[in-house]
Amino acid sequence: MTGPDIHALSGAYALDAVDDLERAAFDRHLAECEACAVEVAEYRETATRLAEGSWSVPPPRMREQVLARAAATPQLPPNGHRRGVASPVARWRRLAVAAAAVGVLGLGAAATAYAALEQRLDAERTAMAVAQQRQEVMTAPDAALRAGDLAGGGRVTVVVSELEDNGVVILNGAPPPGPDRVYQLWLVPEGSGTPVSVGLLRAGQTGAIELIQGVRRGATLAVSLEPAGGSPVPSTTPLVGIPLV
Amino acid sequence: MNDPGRYPRGAGQPAEPQPERSEIDILLRAVARGDDTAFTRLYDLLAPRVFGLARRVLRDPAQAEEMAQEVLVEVWRTASRFDAQRGSGLSWVLTIAHRRTVDRVRSEQAASDRLQKVAAVSVHVPYDEVADQVSSRMERQQVRRCLDGLTGLQRQAITLAYYGGHTYREVATLLDAALPTVKTRMRDGLIRLRDCLNVEVTP
Repeated sequence: MTGPDIHALSGAYALDAVDDLERAAFDRHLAECEACAVEVAEYRETATRLAEGSWSVPPPRMREQVLARAAATPQLPPNGHRRGVASPVARWRRLAVAAAAVGVLGLGAAATAYAALEQRLDAERTAMAVAQQRQEVMTAPDAALRAGDLAGGGRVTVVVSELEDNGVVILNGAPPPGPDRVYQLWLVPEGSGTPVSVGLLRAGQTGAIELIQGVRRGATLAVSLEPAGGSPVPSTTPLVGIPLV
Repeated sequence: MNDPGRYPRGAGQPAEPQPERSEIDILLRAVARGDDTAFTRLYDLLAPRVFGLARRVLRDPAQAEEMAQEVLVEVWRTASRFDAQRGSGLSWVLTIAHRRTVDRVRSEQAASDRLQKVAAVSVHVPYDEVADQVSSRMERQQVRRCLDGLTGLQRQAITLAYYGGHTYREVATLLDAALPTVKTRMRDGLIRLRDCLNVEVTP
C-alpha cells in the first residue's frame, strides 16, 4: 500500500482502527507527507474529543502509586531533530555515528550488517522518521544485543532498548522464501498472549531492518514463513525465537 | 457525503474557553524538565480522563486502573516528546491512552474470537452510548450534538472504533458494510466532527 491507497486509511488511523502492519505503513507515509501529518493531527485532536464524555474518578490509591512510579522512572531526553529531511551527507554521518556507537557497545557484527543493509534500503527511500528511531535504539544507553540463527539458514540480530521502548531487528542471509511465501516477524508476549506481527517482508526478500515498538519485558521475537501478503497469526512453525529483555 | 472538504464551521455552539487545556500544555513542558510538582498537578487534571477512557473501552475497573497507571507514568517518561505543533497536550495524552488501551483489548483475545463475541452482543448495544454519559458540561453536550449531526453510518463507524476498540475491518463486519465504505465514513465523519467542534491544529 502506497500513496493514495494508504492515505484512505487516515480516518481509521486516527481512530486507532488499523492493525499493526497498517499502522507502521501509515507512520511511514506520514513521515514523508507534511500536509498529511497536519490533516491527521486534526483528526487525532477531533477523535480525542470523543473521550470528553468518559470521565471517571479513579481509586484514590492510584495517585500515590503513579507518583511513586514516576519518581523511580527516568525521563527521555528531548528530541530536537526528529523532523525535517536531512541531506544525504548528514544522514550518512548520523548512520556512521550509529554504527560507531554500536561498535563501542561491542556490537560490531550488527553494525556491519546494519550499515550494509541500510545503504541498500536507502535506495528504497526508507522513511526518515523510522531511520531516526532506529538510530535512537542503536545509540540508547541500555541497548542490548540478541541474536539467533534461523532454521534453514540466515541470522536474526536484535538490538533492544527498554528505555526507548523499541528494538531494531536485522534479518540477513536467509534463503529465498520460495514462491508465494514471505518472511514475517512476530513479537510474542510473555505468557499466553497472541503473537503480534511486527514486520512483513516482500516476496523474494531475504533481508530487512525493521523497527519494532512496544518491546515488553519477557517478550520473544519470532520469524516464520507465511503466505504472500502475510498472515494475521503465525501459521507455520517459527524458524527462530529470540527472548528480548 | 462525497465532499471531503470542510463543512461550515461552528455548527455546534462556540467552543467553551478551555483554561485546562492550555494549563496541560504548560504543565507538560514543565514535566519534561523533570518538575515533579507540575506532574502532581498534571495527574489531577489527567487521571479522571485517562481512567475514564480506559474504563469505557476495557469495561473493567481493575484493568482500567492498571492501564491508567501505565499511561500516566508513560506521560512522565516521554513528556519531552510532546510537540505542541502537532496538537494539544490533552490530545497527545489521550492518544497514548487510547492506543495502549486498544492494544490491550486486541491482545487479550485472538481477533476472530473477539469478533464473534462482539457480533453476538453488539446488536443490543446502543451505538450512541455517549448520550448516556453526557454530563452538564457544555463541551460534552457539544460533542454529543456534533455526533448527532453525523449520518448513522458515520456515527456508528466512529463510535465502534473509538469506544469499542474495533479495527475498521471488524467495524465493516459488524455493520455489514464494504471496507472502502467504512474507511471513507470514518474519514468524512471525522471531518464533519472536526468542523462542528472547531478543531484546528496550526503547525
